[in-house]
Amino acid sequence: MTQEYVTEIADFIARYLSYMLGAGVHTSRVVRNSKRLGTALGVDVSIHTSQKTATLTVCGKDDTSVMNTRVLDIPAFPISFEWNADLSALSWAAYDKKMTLDEIRMKFDALVSKPKMNPVFVLFMASLANASFCRLFGGDIWAMLVTFTATLIGFFTRQHLTRRHVNHYIVFIVSAFVASLCASTALTLGIDTAEIALATSVLYLVPGVPLINGVIDITDGHIQIGISRLVNALMLIVCIAIGMSGTLMLVKDSLL
Amino acid sequence: MIAADIISDGLFAAIAAMGFGSISDPPMRAFPYIAILAAVGHATRYCLMTFLGVDIASASLIAAFIIGTGSVWFGRKVFCPMTVLYIPALLPMVPGTYAYKTVFSLIMFLQEISSPTQGSEYLQSMIYNASVSFSVIFMLAVGATVPVFLLRERANSMTRGSRFI
Repeated sequence: MTQEYVTEIADFIARYLSYMLGAGVHTSRVVRNSKRLGTALGVDVSIHTSQKTATLTVCGKDDTSVMNTRVLDIPAFPISFEWNADLSALSWAAYDKKMTLDEIRMKFDALVSKPKMNPVFVLFMASLANASFCRLFGGDIWAMLVTFTATLIGFFTRQHLTRRHVNHYIVFIVSAFVASLCASTALTLGIDTAEIALATSVLYLVPGVPLINGVIDITDGHIQIGISRLVNALMLIVCIAIGMSGTLMLVKDSLL
Repeated sequence: MIAADIISDGLFAAIAAMGFGSISDPPMRAFPYIAILAAVGHATRYCLMTFLGVDIASASLIAAFIIGTGSVWFGRKVFCPMTVLYIPALLPMVPGTYAYKTVFSLIMFLQEISSPTQGSEYLQSMIYNASVSFSVIFMLAVGATVPVFLLRERANSMTRGSRFI
């Protein structure tokens, strides 16, 4: 095993690691998959992770004199369960089929360049989801319609602001304000369950995936990164509340 | 009538799970199983809370445990890691309203800080909302992770031999 080969493996595992962590996979899975890839290629992999950076050491299995250590930045990708499933499967394929580094790298490039889900489809599905959420909280059909429309407009705002790389706290405040303002028309229209429509209109923004991931990380013993994820999600919830309180102050003069 | 209530609860929970899940880009093949898991889990929680009077945190724990166990079974079929199936299925149960009401209570408390009676009422409502939202989220994640601890070998090799890459 030469130093060049170990460096090449470290280059690849660094990319693999940063893509998985950036796409919101919980830490113990990322560590386990990277170690499995390392075993498949005949090296030892050790990883230290935090919220925005990770440290990676790759060294030869028998010959620890060849090694490569680096600190890498974790890019902020949108959360992707598809990458989670595909890249996990890639690590097993590399382990079982004894793939070479070049084959693994080609497969990796093909997997991460797969097209994402159509944004219009996501927009429609999220609005439908929020409308049925309104129903779960006891809203009637008119409240569901108002919630559907409000979410459609709010989520559209969020998609557009995200595409223009606006700071994500500002994105959350603005889209919570827009969605709840649209839903507050239910009060003027005199719908019986208008309060429910107003309360559920912002729920599509709640960062459920980081919240659950954070607790999973804590139960797995990665307590630092788990708490970072929870704090991150908490900041977003505060932003939702700020955006929504703008609307409530305008239409109701009271928050609770 | 009760049966219709339970079925409609499951149905709307399934739609909500698929919709909120689609924001996080799951693989297309996982959608039917996410819907089934969410429907069963949410309907279980609804029954426990409405008919048996169980509190929201314990009911969430049991529902999440059922979702987690189901995802061990389904994950092998579609070659998805368990989290890909159970996190979207848990999303309709995340206590979003309690979470932002915590922040509202804090804001109202700060505005009424000079009035001892109203101020302490808002403080009480803040603690109530915060403890409900935190314990429900904690119970959801722990309940769904317990099957991973029980069946470690099987749970960690879900994507082995996947036909989809």
